[in-house]
Amino acid sequence: MTPVITTPYVTNYLTEHFADDGYRTLKGYEAKGGYQAIRKALRMEPDDVAAAVKESGLRGRGGAGFSCGLKWSFMPKETDQMKVLIANADESEPGSFKDRIILERGPHVMLEGILIAAWATGSSRAYIYVRGEYAHPADCAERAIEELYRAGYLGRNCFGKKGFDVDIYVHRGAGAYICGEETGLLESLEGKKGQPRKKPPFPAQYGAFGLPSTVNNIETFAHVPFIIDRGVDWFRGIGTEKSTGTTIFGVSGHVERPGLFELPLGTPLREILGHAGGVRHGRALKGVIPGGVSMPILPASDLDVPMADEFLAERGTHLGTGGMVVMDETTCMVRVACVVSYFFRDESCGQCTQCREGTGWMNRICQRIEEGRGVPADLEVLGDLPGMLEGQTICAFADAAAWPIGGLLRHFRDDFEAHIRERKCPFPESFEL
Amino acid sequence: MPKITVDGTEYEVPEGKMMLQALDDLGLLLTEIDIPHYCWHPKLSIDGSCRMCQVEVEGTPKLQIACNTPVRDGMVIRTNTEQVRTAQRGVMELLLINHPLDCPICDQAGECKLQDFAVRYGLEHARTRDPRRPAKKGTPLGPTIMLDQERCILCRRCVRFCREIPKTGEIGVFARGDHSLLEVFSGMELDNPYSMNVADICPVGALTTRDFRFKIRVWFLEDRETVCNQCANGCNLYASVAYNKVYRYLPRRNDGVNETWICDYGRMSYRTIRENRLDEPRLGRSTATYSAAIRRAGEGLRQARDSGGRIVGVGSAFAANEDLFVLRQLLDGLSAGPGLLVVPTGKADELLIKEEKAPNAAGARLLGFEESSGPVGPAAVALVLGHALPAEAFEGVETLILIDTHRSPLVERADVVLPARYFAEKVGTFVNHARRIQRFLPVVEPVFECEPEGQVLQRIAVAAGLDGFSGTYDPFEISKRLAEEATAFAGAELGTLDDQGQEIP
Amino acid sequence: MTPETRKKIETLFERYPRKRGALLPAIYLTQAEKGYVDREAAQDLAELFEIPPVAVWEVLSFYNMFYTEPQGRHHVYVCTNLSCSLRGARTMLKSLEAHLGVKAGQTTSDGRVTLGHEECLGSCGTAPMLRVNSDYHENLDTDEAKRIVDSLE
Ligand SMILES: Cc1cc2nc3c(=O)[nH]c(=O)nc-3n(C[C@H](O)[C@H](O)[C@H](O)COP(=O)(O)O)c2cc1C
Ligand code: SF4
Ligand code: SF4
Ligand code: SF4
Ligand code: FES
Ligand code: FES
Repeated sequence: MTPVITTPYVTNYLTEHFADDGYRTLKGYEAKGGYQAIRKALRMEPDDVAAAVKESGLRGRGGAGFSCGLKWSFMPKETDQMKVLIANADESEPGSFKDRIILERGPHVMLEGILIAAWATGSSRAYIYVRGEYAHPADCAERAIEELYRAGYLGRNCFGKKGFDVDIYVHRGAGAYICGEETGLLESLEGKKGQPRKKPPFPAQYGAFGLPSTVNNIETFAHVPFIIDRGVDWFRGIGTEKSTGTTIFGVSGHVERPGLFELPLGTPLREILGHAGGVRHGRALKGVIPGGVSMPILPASDLDVPMADEFLAERGTHLGTGGMVVMDETTCMVRVACVVSYFFRDESCGQCTQCREGTGWMNRICQRIEEGRGVPADLEVLGDLPGMLEGQTICAFADAAAWPIGGLLRHFRDDFEAHIRERKCPFPESFEL
Repeated sequence: MPKITVDGTEYEVPEGKMMLQALDDLGLLLTEIDIPHYCWHPKLSIDGSCRMCQVEVEGTPKLQIACNTPVRDGMVIRTNTEQVRTAQRGVMELLLINHPLDCPICDQAGECKLQDFAVRYGLEHARTRDPRRPAKKGTPLGPTIMLDQERCILCRRCVRFCREIPKTGEIGVFARGDHSLLEVFSGMELDNPYSMNVADICPVGALTTRDFRFKIRVWFLEDRETVCNQCANGCNLYASVAYNKVYRYLPRRNDGVNETWICDYGRMSYRTIRENRLDEPRLGRSTATYSAAIRRAGEGLRQARDSGGRIVGVGSAFAANEDLFVLRQLLDGLSAGPGLLVVPTGKADELLIKEEKAPNAAGARLLGFEESSGPVGPAAVALVLGHALPAEAFEGVETLILIDTHRSPLVERADVVLPARYFAEKVGTFVNHARRIQRFLPVVEPVFECEPEGQVLQRIAVAAGLDGFSGTYDPFEISKRLAEEATAFAGAELGTLDDQGQEIP
Repeated sequence: MTPETRKKIETLFERYPRKRGALLPAIYLTQAEKGYVDREAAQDLAELFEIPPVAVWEVLSFYNMFYTEPQGRHHVYVCTNLSCSLRGARTMLKSLEAHLGVKAGQTTSDGRVTLGHEECLGSCGTAPMLRVNSDYHENLDTDEAKRIVDSLE
């Protein structure tokens, strides 16, 4: 079964050749100038490579937006231990479907980024953690890795550089959103339940198998070859001052043309929506989730916000993964709350009291309100719960579970109150639950 | 050493520790400084999941968990701000939404952290309208432990215990999120020599010992200090007592001996206080009075001495140093040569359980008792403490005088039998395998007439016509003499020992 | 666990600094034998990895893609997360339930299909979708979904 090819409708440097089938192969990739950046990096000092990435302003594309170069600098320099890189392709944040396309259509650009990172951080081992459901994308990555071994680009003395030894393996997850959280991922990689680790210790000191480790999203890695190849100034020229480069925005939900769009960070939301053909059936917009369902929703009035974290933060939300979910005027926001809270209830790893118990409670209340059995006291508890979860747990999952509920109540409290008042769902045309 | 300030008071704390550990090491936790916690346990790895121990650290906007925050010099910590209280209330409320609150029939009631903290940090009313998550009511988890799954708050103390201490790892948490359930692998049981410790460390009533279940409400119990007498480790214990009866043993923390654990065998040995006790003096097959038996014993010894017959003394590794000291003096007075010692042995492990299955073999050796494995006889009289010997060992012994606490086949063989107080009924000291001298105190009164071995021996000595044995047996006084006469015991007197004991050179 | 499976698992150990790292792939290989991992297989894994059986069971029960009960010959999953639901995934799931005569989470009586719903599968832009075993079918409508399900052996 060949998957539907969803190469981006709008491309830029990163996805420029994704529509080209040959680009998935080593030969095709090299024909487009691939694996020149790693050769260039190998002529530089590792510290200079790391410094360039830091200066480029590249921020992580996995959701938290942390400076990539800064993270690399946490890796210990003086150590006899093997250092490990982890490319996070767990992509399970609802509304996000960009990493899949990198695995399927541009695995070599990701691999080249990993190799450059290995050089910059002195790592000799990398794992690409691919969510279990991405069987086909994982196969694509594995094929690309095999090609590299055959070409002598992986293993010992990669690219002829003496002492530059790197092994890369694909590790498949098995269906657990929390394994996208970097320490949940580490546990899963070690063959355990994907329950995030308390910090300290931090992965750079005690990561995969207790070894110094760095976790980056695969898209983050995929930007790196372009930074090395085309230069820091070029990269800084794209995007905003604080959010440099492009990202692969995903648009789904009630739009005419859902899909992926590689655009500079800071592109206004309205413009991205335009690329996606606008709201479906000429309907009015009700709200947009900007970057995966963990991120608080934006009301239709916020359409002009530039899609970069610094601007979204002013509006009480975040860029997240850039996976936008669009909802038209028919949408019942209580149903949205039901879907989202069910997800977090189902996916909580269950360690922390607030997250384990709070996600279930939020979901039960949303469900009850949707079914017309809610009472005003329910809304009061639902209003308190996000505050009880946020910022108090081992990992940011609890925040991710709290934020969307907080956001929905902030902007669409009327929807909830109407359900309680009318004792039924007042949105007959809304999507079916 | 770093200095930290907690709620306005400055403390010097050990370097490089986590906050809770550091405060606990100083004995401040839950005494002076109130940081409630569920998942943290001083002797287990840090879990950091219950989130009950959150505190405010100056300069850090988010609350920090005290169990996993390293102390730094100059750190300013607050444990009772509004932000902390709100967080604690949140955790309590969330823990309780799926908790059955069946306190009236829960064995943990009265010593339950959920009850305690709910009163202190919780909300006044329940706000949940939902049914609780389905889970199993009391089911056996193995031969020793019951699990009430619905009461479990998933702190994973028990899981970590089984993985880290006995390293048997029988327990796990299955599934995830709010479906998570504590379980054992199907068809397997929680069954290891230390299994019952999980009931002690479970902060709620999810794990209870099958032995103690439904026996008595804990508020009737008083915990009294004692030590275990079942092997040479000498684990520190509390005996929980009501109506002059010990209902259970609990481990008492002593980092130099047993940390916070005890073995199941030792734990169950509280039963030896009541079971199978030797409860009447005997002369041959018939019951006698205490004084008649003592008279007979004294006569036997005098006759043997006067006629030049061989007298053998046999000490016991179950006896206290003070009692053994009296025996030694008595044997000296009779010019009988050093007492013998027989130490029962069995399997040992790397954790607590020692090969020598008695509490005071080391003490007896220090007092000059000599190990023997062969027959005791032939002899005119054998004067025997304790019951570690088979009857066959006494072939060729004309008169066997036995002072003992429990029934044994030897009782049938003995010519004079004198019941003695068990260690739980008196005061004294034992020396454990690592030469730590530890005191034990009376936890109950004997329920029939009996005296400490030392007292019995003194009376026998008097009856045998020996000087210097009159008066009441006073273990404190004897301990002082012991400290003067036996160098090993110097500076380790009963009267000055504390509840942690002390190592002797 | 067959000797072949065991051999395959053993070749994975070298990929990880500690062999426990190979547990997830090892479970996949074991599961491929019968479609699920039963108690005995879990015990075999525990022995091979030198860990208590309960640790294997914890892992099995944590991840959605591991099964400890017999499954249908085919897994058919409908993503019901937000982007898919907005585009009719739940309507599609309900008609599949009616079509197959089972509820999500159940297996048809002939053992052909286990129907289920899943969280976001990364096809939000091509919603609604089905995951049939390890293949994705995207941009579906109800009729197309039924046709795909009917074509399964
Ligand atoms: C609940 C949760 C789920 C996450 N899922 C993912 C994911 O699927 N993919 C990802 O790259 N990062 C995910 N992250 C973020 C990672 O923890 C980590 O920050 C990221 O992989 C670092 O890469 P970056 O700095 O390149 O973004 C998740 C975080 C949380 C809290
Ligand atoms: S916040 Fe939730 S997902 Fe994260 S560690 Fe705690 S329980 Fe697990
Ligand atoms: S049974 Fe008790 S100790 Fe074990 S996890 Fe549950 S509450 Fe904690
Ligand atoms: S280890 Fe020995 S001293 Fe400790 S409880 Fe067990 S039998 Fe008693
Ligand atoms: S005691 Fe600190 S989180 Fe449980
Ligand atoms: S919401 Fe269904 S695939 Fe993302």
